[in-house]
Amino acid sequence: MASNAAAPFWRSAGMTYITYSNICANLVRNCLKEPYKTEALTREKVHFSVSKWTEGKPEKPTIRSDTPED
Amino acid sequence: MAMAALRREGRRLAPLISPQSITAVRSSLISQEQAPLGLRSISTQIVRNRMKSVKNIQKITKAMKMVAASKLRAIQVRAENSRGLWQPFTALLGDTPSVDVKKNVIVTISSDKGLCGGINSTSVKTSKALKKLTAGPDKETKYVVLGEKAKAQLIRDSKKDIELSITELQKNPLNYTQVSVLADDILKNVEYDALRIVFNKFQSVVSFLPTVATVLSPEAVEKEAEFGGKLGELDSYEIEGGETKSEVLQNLGEFQFSCVLFNAVLENACSEQGARMSAMDSSSRNAGDMLDRLTLTYNRTRQASITTELIEIISGASALEG
Repeated sequence: MASNAAAPFWRSAGMTYITYSNICANLVRNCLKEPYKTEALTREKVHFSVSKWTEGKPEKPTIRSDTPED
Repeated sequence: MAMAALRREGRRLAPLISPQSITAVRSSLISQEQAPLGLRSISTQIVRNRMKSVKNIQKITKAMKMVAASKLRAIQVRAENSRGLWQPFTALLGDTPSVDVKKNVIVTISSDKGLCGGINSTSVKTSKALKKLTAGPDKETKYVVLGEKAKAQLIRDSKKDIELSITELQKNPLNYTQVSVLADDILKNVEYDALRIVFNKFQSVVSFLPTVATVLSPEAVEKEAEFGGKLGELDSYEIEGGETKSEVLQNLGEFQFSCVLFNAVLENACSEQGARMSAMDSSSRNAGDMLDRLTLTYNRTRQASITTELIEIISGASALEG
């Protein structure tokens, strides 16, 4: 199912559509004026811990987070 | 003073009658009738301690219920608004739970914290049933687990089938960015033909339905389109932007997964708070009942000991006189 048209630049850079739309949304949020801007940016915080499993054993979890660990 | 003496007596006698009666206190709280005759009943101290701890538990569970109710109110609005995200997708691509594909990935959503009733067990049960349904020759099914509670339950018998496990999701308030980063991670790490998301849909404060939402990979959508139905009508839509159909399908598929996952996570969080509310409510009611029973026991013990003391005094006095 190869697409005949050239893939958009972000697809060939390895991003998924989700990453692309998140970056666009971030750009839009940064265009806001001050009080709304900080409110909107708090809606963007990411924190979770994911661990890949192989053969029934979890590997060390990696924490993906915007906030630094204390 | 007499009471203090009686308490000392009670404590001295307690070890003698301990095995039967103290366990009787623990189990039935109506111990007097079961204590051997001729011995003094349990001292009131034990019953008083139990009453104090039960009252504390009642206060704690009542507070937890209030907290869960307030959290529920906040998140319910967001969950209902997020339903509008995936409804257009279902209208366009259809939701085909009966699709027959080779690689199934079951995404089970559960909570990190406990004390929330039975919702996590129902999610896990549904996932396991789904796995059995989609099993077959040449097909494989893997789990992606969100939340501690489902991980603990699935580890027991499906360790080999877990692909990813994700925890600490609710440290910050849930937002779309977080869930979409998560969806991105899942898409990058897991090969799938169909993703089945298992979560508890929030119907009302007392009812949570386990639901399965199906998201197909672009290749699977192409295959299903040949069978007709909703997916077969995709060609009749005009696509703006001049991209090819497979390109659009891929974008749509990823975005659909992200939206459906967002809604699922929100609904599950709602159900978690609702279930916690009702669990804590029944817990405080049970604590109240237990407290009533303990109070009766306490009063009976107290009155019996006073009566015994009076009898002794009076019989002692009458022995002196006569």
